[in-house]
Amino acid sequence: MDVRAHVSMVFHLDKCIGCHTCSVACKNIWTDRPGAEYMWWNNVETKPGTGYPAQWEDQLNFKGGWVVDKDRKLKLRSQDKTDFLPKLFYNPNQPGLSDYYEPWTYAYQNLFDAPLGKDQPTAIPVSKITGEPIDIESGPNWDDDLSGSPIYAENDPNFKNLTADEKEMLFSVERISMMYLPRICNHCANPSCVAACPSGALYKRGEDGIVLINQDKCRGWRACVSACPYKKIYYNWKTGKSEKCILCYPRVETGQPPACFHTCVGRIRYMGVMLYDADRIEEAMKVPKEGLVDSQRSLLLDPHDPKVIEKALANGISPGWIESAQRSPIWKFVMEWKLALPLHPEFRTLPMLYYVPPLLPVMGRTENNIYEHDADTIFSTIEKARLPMKYLSMLFSAGNITPVEESMRRLLAVRIYQRSITMGDIEAERLKRILREAGLTEKQAQEIYTLSALPGPEDRFMMPPIQREEAVEKTGCSPEQCKGTCGLGKTQKPERGP
Amino acid sequence: MSDQFLFIALPYVALISLVIGSILRFRINAFSYSSLSTQFLEDRWLAWASMPWHIGIIVILTGHLLAFSFPGVWTTLAAEPVFLITVEVVGALCAFLCLFGVLILLVRRFVDAKLQAVTNHLEIVVLLILLIQISSGLAVALLHRWGSSWAPGALGPYLHSILMLRPDAAYLSDMPPFVKMHIATAWVLLMLLPFTRLVHAMSLPFHYFFRAPQKVVWNSSRSEARFEQRLEKDTERRLFIKASVGLGASAVLLSLGTLDKFFKYFLKQDLSNEQEAHLLSEKLHRLKQSAQEREYELERMSKDDIFVAKLSDLSKTKGKYFIDYQMRPALAFRDENGLPILLSAKCTHLGCTVGQDLDEQGRVLCPCHISYFDIKTGSPSAGSPAKDPLPHIGWALQNEQGKTLLAQDAEGRREGSIEPGQLESSLLFIVKRFSGEAA
Repeated sequence: MDVRAHVSMVFHLDKCIGCHTCSVACKNIWTDRPGAEYMWWNNVETKPGTGYPAQWEDQLNFKGGWVVDKDRKLKLRSQDKTDFLPKLFYNPNQPGLSDYYEPWTYAYQNLFDAPLGKDQPTAIPVSKITGEPIDIESGPNWDDDLSGSPIYAENDPNFKNLTADEKEMLFSVERISMMYLPRICNHCANPSCVAACPSGALYKRGEDGIVLINQDKCRGWRACVSACPYKKIYYNWKTGKSEKCILCYPRVETGQPPACFHTCVGRIRYMGVMLYDADRIEEAMKVPKEGLVDSQRSLLLDPHDPKVIEKALANGISPGWIESAQRSPIWKFVMEWKLALPLHPEFRTLPMLYYVPPLLPVMGRTENNIYEHDADTIFSTIEKARLPMKYLSMLFSAGNITPVEESMRRLLAVRIYQRSITMGDIEAERLKRILREAGLTEKQAQEIYTLSALPGPEDRFMMPPIQREEAVEKTGCSPEQCKGTCGLGKTQKPERGP
Repeated sequence: MSDQFLFIALPYVALISLVIGSILRFRINAFSYSSLSTQFLEDRWLAWASMPWHIGIIVILTGHLLAFSFPGVWTTLAAEPVFLITVEVVGALCAFLCLFGVLILLVRRFVDAKLQAVTNHLEIVVLLILLIQISSGLAVALLHRWGSSWAPGALGPYLHSILMLRPDAAYLSDMPPFVKMHIATAWVLLMLLPFTRLVHAMSLPFHYFFRAPQKVVWNSSRSEARFEQRLEKDTERRLFIKASVGLGASAVLLSLGTLDKFFKYFLKQDLSNEQEAHLLSEKLHRLKQSAQEREYELERMSKDDIFVAKLSDLSKTKGKYFIDYQMRPALAFRDENGLPILLSAKCTHLGCTVGQDLDEQGRVLCPCHISYFDIKTGSPSAGSPAKDPLPHIGWALQNEQGKTLLAQDAEGRREGSIEPGQLESSLLFIVKRFSGEAA
């Protein structure tokens, strides 16, 4: 057992209102630079929809992630040691600018400089690459809230398992529904981007699992862009280097949550330390895809188990971190309550960002202007949910409905439990039965409610003890010398080479 | 003069710039090392440009490298028509691929507005130089046929002289203009390489083949130490594999040349009587030659003068070879007055033996690198690789009674006199006191 610590995340989709505050916070801090305008290290997608870049989930096109080959070996879908060489000079699987959008601004100066005329001066859009006027054809969140649209929602790659009838039902005007899917880098424990980097510039930090790109080592071969199935690595067209979400590591190192976590107005984001077994990753990622959620969970180690603690200490994980892992909200959502699920586990990268699937607004449904409800459960049942379980299972459990159903049933049980407290209109017997069927105790239901609905920052962000001083102490670098080496770690202007 | 600049000064400037420039750039601004791909901004033209260009240039560069690294092996191979034609055809096809690729690369820089946002002047300059380089290479291949056969022999010594710090542009002096241009542009490219996007050629990711799929970096030394302990075995294994691969590869390379002899030694082929007799006679011949040499040496040590020829036996147009006091080959002619001309036959360039036939201008030819020497003055004609004259050798004419009639030293000073009638019967000797040792 090789116990390692990982700063992991949970996004509670029931609470996401799609306000994009996270994206803006991230952009303002990290990607407001020439060459990085189109990068959204954090973006919020409307699902069903094509996402960003368009149809990123379609791995037959972009060829990211891992596959199990005929010899039962875990293998990169593309860009492995035999595949990268022919694609070094031209990569057919790399998304281009047209898969994102051409960044633009507006010619505001024209508002002041325009000569006197009959018409109001306008600020026309100009490309941020060429500086020339452009026709805007797409942009960030171009399909925002456009669920049900034939261009976007119907082309969602996650619909490929649904029958035509099911699809039609979903897109009938009365039933149209949508959810938001905020996405950052998953900081996978089995990252395909790291494995695909020919230059060895990408790496996973041993202490906290953050995946980073060494900008000095990156040679711009762009293998990672293709290899990341979540398309969370972006090529900076100006500097010729790839960039990705850094999980605001300068903030994490100093005990603060990342900017997108901190600014989230829906308080949907949770962060905490998880312990996992690095020895078994390959084995666990080779199981048939229906079993991937379970095998991924089996890698996460119980921080209360004395054996795990012993091994963790032996591996150099500090007692402070172990304590932090014990109080981690992530452990509760993912392992204790089994509410949170990985996004697209079938990519086999072992993402360390987990999602609580949305109950609201999926459940709400009216018929003849009457709110439809089940006499037995007050609310509708999850089987009748607007977004079919099949669709959610394509997102969160590789097509296996069981884990999604389990999670949804529990979420619904908590809601009924809470109604019984506030309204008192549910008989104790029925409540008990519902909770039993969902596999929850009353205490757990109360805990889930508290951590979901009322958490303060100290509950959501169980940040591990500050690492920076510790790291400085361990590496023997004096604070005077190491001063100013935070952030992107560069004191030099990131300029394009000649 | 311009040859001296282009083929002696420029190469060293280029090599220094290449080594120091790329190291400095790597140390000072590693961030700027990138392939600077533009596929993200423009990928329709690029597919048709980048693939042909890179495939072509890699094949061609590999060919050049092999030919100039192993000129002997290559020339032997190129003597085989099948090999020669294959190499020439593949090379020409690749050159056309490159030409096609670089032209599109150049054009797309001008037609795509987005690309212009990331294009600097140097990129255009590099593309233009590459265009010139490919074109001149193609011109050489098409106009001066069978370059893969003559180039390693003719240009290899030049490159060798540059690398051995004994630069000699003379090897190139008789080369056609396209060849000169191709070589000069190559140096310019090497010189510019560290300051352009071409640096990406130096960061080809070969180590990717040897590394584990995942890369974990530990910032704290404590956990790193533990981690390394566990990885030690793994690392050792990987190092072992690397070392074995390296040793194996070098062994294979080394054995390529000697394998044949190696097997022959162990297999001890059965020779027929004739073959054995032939081998023995060859051996005997070598022994005789060596004995002859010793005899000559002895003779030159013991005698004050050595008979070269009867003066009447010498010709005005065809020299007679003899061995001088320093055991070097020399040539004996007669001039228009019937007097002997004796001069060293050891070419002052690289020591080949010059030919014995005089051409119309009264010159002898060194066949190795085409140096012409005037036998009267000994000096090489303009444009010859040899720069120093062949030295004259002193001689003496004796009558049949052994009396010295006329003698001339290496500088042309004469003693004694001879009647014209006596010339035909006189004997030509070389004299110890006129040779370098006596003086």
